Amino acid sequence: MCRGKVASRLALCLALGVPVALQAQTAVEPIEIITTTEAYDPIRYEGAYIIAEAWRELGLDVTVSPTEFSTLLSKFYDQQDFAVTISGWSGRVDRLDPQFYLGTLSSDNAVMGANNPGGYSNPEYDKLFEAQSREFDQTKRQEMVHKLQEIAAPDAPLAILFHRDEVVAYNKNNFENMKAMAGEALYSEWVPMEAKPLTERKTLRYGGPQSPDNINPMLANTVWAWKWMRLYYDRLVRLTPDVEVKNWMAESVTAIDEQTIEVKLREGLTFHDGMPVTSADVKFSYDYLVNSDYGYFNSYLTALDNVEILDDLTVRFNLNAPSAPFGSITLSQISILPKHIWEKIENPMELAPGDIPTVGSGPFKFSQYTLGEFMKLDKFEDHFHADEIAIDSVEFQIFADSEGVFTAIQTGQIDVTAWRMEAGQIPLAEQNENLEVVSVPDFGYYHLTYNLRKPHFEDVAFRRALTKAIDRERIVNVLLDGRGEPGSSVIAPVNAFWHNAFTERLDYDMEAAKTELEEAGYSWSSDGKLQK
Amino acid sequence: MISPALKEAFAPLRLMLQDRLAVVGLIVLTMIFCMALFAPMIASQDPFAINEDEDGSVLLRTDDGWLLQPSLGQVALNDTASRAGEDLIVGRQGSLWTRTADNWERVDLPVIADLNGVAMTDTGSAIIVGGDGALLLRTGTDWEVVTTDQTVALNSVAWVDDETALIVGQDETILRFDVTDKSLSPLNSPLGRGMTLNAVAKDVDGTVLVVGERGVAMRYDPASDAVELVRLGSSRTLEDLHIASSGTALAIGERGTLIRRDGPDGKWTVDKTPDSRGLMAGWIDDAGRGYAVGRNGIIMERAPEQDWILASTESERHLRTILVNDAGAIALGSDKFVVRFASPSAAHWFGTDHLGRDLFSRSMYGSRIALLVGFLGATLVMIIGTNVGLVAGFYRGKTDTILMRTVDVMYGIPFEPFALILVLLFTPSLGIVILAVSLLTWRTTARLIRAQVLSLRERPFIKAARVAGASDLRIMYLHILPNVMPLVFLELAITVGVAIIAEATLSFLGLGPPQSVSWGGILHDARLSGAWRTAWWWNLPPGIFIMMTVLSVFFISRSLELVANPRLRARR
Amino acid sequence: MRNSGYLIRRFLQALLALFIIATLLFFLFRLGLPDPTTVLVSEGLSPEQREDVRRQFGLDLPLWNQYLIFLQNTLTGDFGTSFHYRAPVSEIIWERLGNTLVLMLAAIFVSYGIGVPLGAWLSWRRGSSVDSWGIFFGLMFRSAPMFWTGMISILIFGVWLEWLPTSGMRTLPYEATGFWDKILTLDFLRHLILPAMIVALFYLGSPLLIMRNTMLEVYGEDFIEMARAKGLQERSVLFRHAARNALLPVVTQLAVTIGLAAGGQVVVEVVFSWPGLGREILNAVRTSDFPLAQACFLIMATFVIFLNLLVDILYSTLDPRVRLS
Repeated sequence: MCRGKVASRLALCLALGVPVALQAQTAVEPIEIITTTEAYDPIRYEGAYIIAEAWRELGLDVTVSPTEFSTLLSKFYDQQDFAVTISGWSGRVDRLDPQFYLGTLSSDNAVMGANNPGGYSNPEYDKLFEAQSREFDQTKRQEMVHKLQEIAAPDAPLAILFHRDEVVAYNKNNFENMKAMAGEALYSEWVPMEAKPLTERKTLRYGGPQSPDNINPMLANTVWAWKWMRLYYDRLVRLTPDVEVKNWMAESVTAIDEQTIEVKLREGLTFHDGMPVTSADVKFSYDYLVNSDYGYFNSYLTALDNVEILDDLTVRFNLNAPSAPFGSITLSQISILPKHIWEKIENPMELAPGDIPTVGSGPFKFSQYTLGEFMKLDKFEDHFHADEIAIDSVEFQIFADSEGVFTAIQTGQIDVTAWRMEAGQIPLAEQNENLEVVSVPDFGYYHLTYNLRKPHFEDVAFRRALTKAIDRERIVNVLLDGRGEPGSSVIAPVNAFWHNAFTERLDYDMEAAKTELEEAGYSWSSDGKLQK
Repeated sequence: MISPALKEAFAPLRLMLQDRLAVVGLIVLTMIFCMALFAPMIASQDPFAINEDEDGSVLLRTDDGWLLQPSLGQVALNDTASRAGEDLIVGRQGSLWTRTADNWERVDLPVIADLNGVAMTDTGSAIIVGGDGALLLRTGTDWEVVTTDQTVALNSVAWVDDETALIVGQDETILRFDVTDKSLSPLNSPLGRGMTLNAVAKDVDGTVLVVGERGVAMRYDPASDAVELVRLGSSRTLEDLHIASSGTALAIGERGTLIRRDGPDGKWTVDKTPDSRGLMAGWIDDAGRGYAVGRNGIIMERAPEQDWILASTESERHLRTILVNDAGAIALGSDKFVVRFASPSAAHWFGTDHLGRDLFSRSMYGSRIALLVGFLGATLVMIIGTNVGLVAGFYRGKTDTILMRTVDVMYGIPFEPFALILVLLFTPSLGIVILAVSLLTWRTTARLIRAQVLSLRERPFIKAARVAGASDLRIMYLHILPNVMPLVFLELAITVGVAIIAEATLSFLGLGPPQSVSWGGILHDARLSGAWRTAWWWNLPPGIFIMMTVLSVFFISRSLELVANPRLRARR
Repeated sequence: MRNSGYLIRRFLQALLALFIIATLLFFLFRLGLPDPTTVLVSEGLSPEQREDVRRQFGLDLPLWNQYLIFLQNTLTGDFGTSFHYRAPVSEIIWERLGNTLVLMLAAIFVSYGIGVPLGAWLSWRRGSSVDSWGIFFGLMFRSAPMFWTGMISILIFGVWLEWLPTSGMRTLPYEATGFWDKILTLDFLRHLILPAMIVALFYLGSPLLIMRNTMLEVYGEDFIEMARAKGLQERSVLFRHAARNALLPVVTQLAVTIGLAAGGQVVVEVVFSWPGLGREILNAVRTSDFPLAQACFLIMATFVIFLNLLVDILYSTLDPRVRLS
């Protein structure tokens, strides 16, 4: 589409008899790259300077503006006041479904405050994106998803810089059978259920710098809260480490037709307070979220029309349109709350911290939470999965920064790091004979987004040239110490089923970048400045 | 009137020279000043330069892990071939080494292209391929350059039989090389996407297997002289391929990809990898014992029927190839690698940091920001503080109240959080740092000066001036100011010290100006990278420099204090 | 009485200063800092959902309306609800303030406990090498940034010697029924030693030098000469007469230092992972958590302003040389 624009402008020039080459050329405006501060993320910070250097070689005036993260987000999303911004999307397990990442290129999300701040808009892409989200057949959807990546890649609406490996460590003297999961590393919902203690102590101790913003399921707005709460609130299905849907509270999930899903609960499920889990609780939980102001899960629930109780253990989800991710993502992300507790709460958003209910039906039950310091869960002996769980309790210790976490894992104060280690810590952890270092590829990505509303950036050739001038390989090798991989698509290679390995990559090639610019009518002034 | 003031101005210097500590302070401060002025000359490098080395590294497998051997020069080694009694190693820029027993010998070749692949028969015939279509052949003892019409890089070569070899390279180039008439015949690639082919190896059934970019795999059948696609089950770029004589095979590639085949009829399976970084070369024997080497010094080992494990090795060099024979195993490299976390050496006096930047040079340049912020900030503080103090003390009454309550408000604002707000409001820059430092330190000066002025204004000579009809301004700046100057200088010196520490603190918290080299910033990097626990050379010098600078200023200020407060001189 | 009028006036002025600070911060935050809900975009919230959150935070109201609510609440001691924690600000900050104060007061206690007698002694030995070395060390620690000495001390005592814990206030997990229960333990003391030592060493120079210098000044005063002339013992002169008179500036400095204590030493809290107010305020500003940041700033300002006021009053009461007003 953008190409079309350029072509039509060329055509217009020719039609009016104006020789294109004779038009006076003006220098391309200076470009500002907005990136994070060094303290927030040294990789994105240093990366910006590497990119700026290369772009200067193309004859551009480039400045780098390291910006505090909240200001960066505000400029990027809220004001769309940028030419080039370096940011990232974290890889949450529910984002393994391509819906979310592909959506960041849909023109629906190009409005202020939404997650396509670059403003890429391609009707062909939009149409296919709509179609894939309604496609139930996995193979057909895969084809569409691959096609979408193929459409977007040559347009270079953004440069996918790299997928960064999550490098974490655990104490191998204390626990075994620790299976890392893409995007979650060792702080997945499965590790506490699968870990086998090797010592007397049957408490698995996590440590991390992030603390949950809240443990009120009607308020929690960060992944760090839900990573913890999913251990004590149960879900109808859960996603396995290989990202397959596994029936969990559900005994069966049946698609009656494209818009109707029937779920039958296991028998004998109970909440931590001893009350049985019934289909009424399921209906209540879904309705409760839909009817509340709480927005965290709304995007998963837009397809839901209503929930119908068939009998004590059976519910039917009626959708308003076919939705591919509903059966996997929605059912695995929405927690089942005890109706008998929550229906009595008048204003769930204004609960005092001490009054927040913590009763769920998950494999662990709530035990302790000290704001900003410490959290603890105990194994729930009456859970259907209890026999498989070898530990008695899970703890999470909250530290000021990754330095504190690292000291703790080195001194044996914690067993697992919940968040990645810094580059300089990794070799030290590898030398520590008690520790096992695990490197997990991420399917989130770091990107450099062009603002297509700004002059020159609407020109696809300009974006392609700039992208080709980014040495992503070098960024990975020098800044990440090789622990990551250059990106080519919003769907990461590790997400093998959806990733299209054969899209155009726009690999680093300064000569090709210059040729691309030349062909698009750019030239260089006598002092080497790019002009058009 | 003027001459006593002038005398007064020189008094500090005289007093200073009598004070041992102050003399030390003056000397140290002068040195730091010289450091700042001549930083480009003293520093051995650009403080932002990332040090990268290319090296003909050799790592020998021992019982204590893989140990670094003397380097074979400054170019990377790319591929090896081996037969009884002779090893060939090729590398960048036309380098070729032969090894017999432990004796390395450099062979001069008439090419300058990078040599990427080598293959040798048991009888000693050998072929080398490289960049720009370079091709060399040895049939007897001498190497001969075969001219080709190829311009792409040729990456790998394998013997099909004693007369024929298969060469692969960039752009899906597949060439059959007939040794007898030295002719090259291009073969059609069944894919046609312009993928780079990286490795070729002869399989036990007589066919030849080729692997390359994005998991592309092909099989050449000499019987039909055609190439067909095969699948190994990965879309990862494969860099190397090794097939043992019994048919056990290993293909390795980017992101720690390990694909193994047990026996000639086995299925290719992807092995669990202990590291996610790129592998460059692999080797496996009949029993399934294997090695794989790759970037950042990764060496993986596999015992038969076991998982791959990481071996203890060097951590930066990029290993390119591996040579295994009866004598043992060596891993060779290395492409340009970043000289990170290097401890102090002749090349890097203070070692290097996490990006391989020279810390000595950074420390030298760091003095600039410290002094700039220190003196500029302090001067600004003095100008604000002195004037506020003068005015408040002189006029008293409402003016005084308003100014002093403003000082109270300023006292109520904590330094670091306020600096953060300033950074959020504007963008981090040197100006913001100086502004933050001066906005929040003038309060002390103002108070002190005011107190002094309050007592001065009652003194007879001021009263006399007033009676003589001097204007307020005249009295303030001509009569009172010279008398508070000693105090101003004293405060200036102290504030310089405070400002330097404040700058370091802001930089340490990551609020300093970006891409500037400052002592606090070096410590910020050290802590952020997590390596400060071991890299003492990274931690110590910047802190010592800050301490020395501030201490020298404090020493000087102490003798200034004697000027400002003569009673301290009592009974000296 | 003139005195009480002065006191009331100063007190009102202090309140006015606080009001100005509060107003300044309120508008600075809302007009200058990024929208607190922006960060939720990366969690996948749509613009409409963010609007809901803004409504919950009360950010949809006109600015002056928000300001009135803020003033009203602050006057009644209600700091509002933290945007990040979604919990009443008061529940978060009192604990943090306690943590900061206990560290800072311990450090101040140590530095003055050592610094004052040491300063007196140095003044007695003025001009000797003991004096020079004393000044040297006092100033040396004053010259080294605390984050650096902190890191070095962690390296030596935590990593190499493994004598002391290097992060946090207690070994986790622990159970404590309240603040005092938390800190009245040996474990807490072990955690306190390193950070308190670092702050104390930094502070040491100031009481040391002030004491030494004021003592030297006092020696010059007539009444000391008189005491000497009376043939009193030098030691008795030092402690009975000189020291007592030299204490005032030290006490002043002490009060000022205590006033600044609520602000804590941010870098020390960062380096030692101390869960204090200083770190909380940095986070609050970074995440645009306006209510929390406002409360932190206000508490710090209150401390400083009222302790400074106290100093002024003390000074005017104790030292006849300083006239009121």
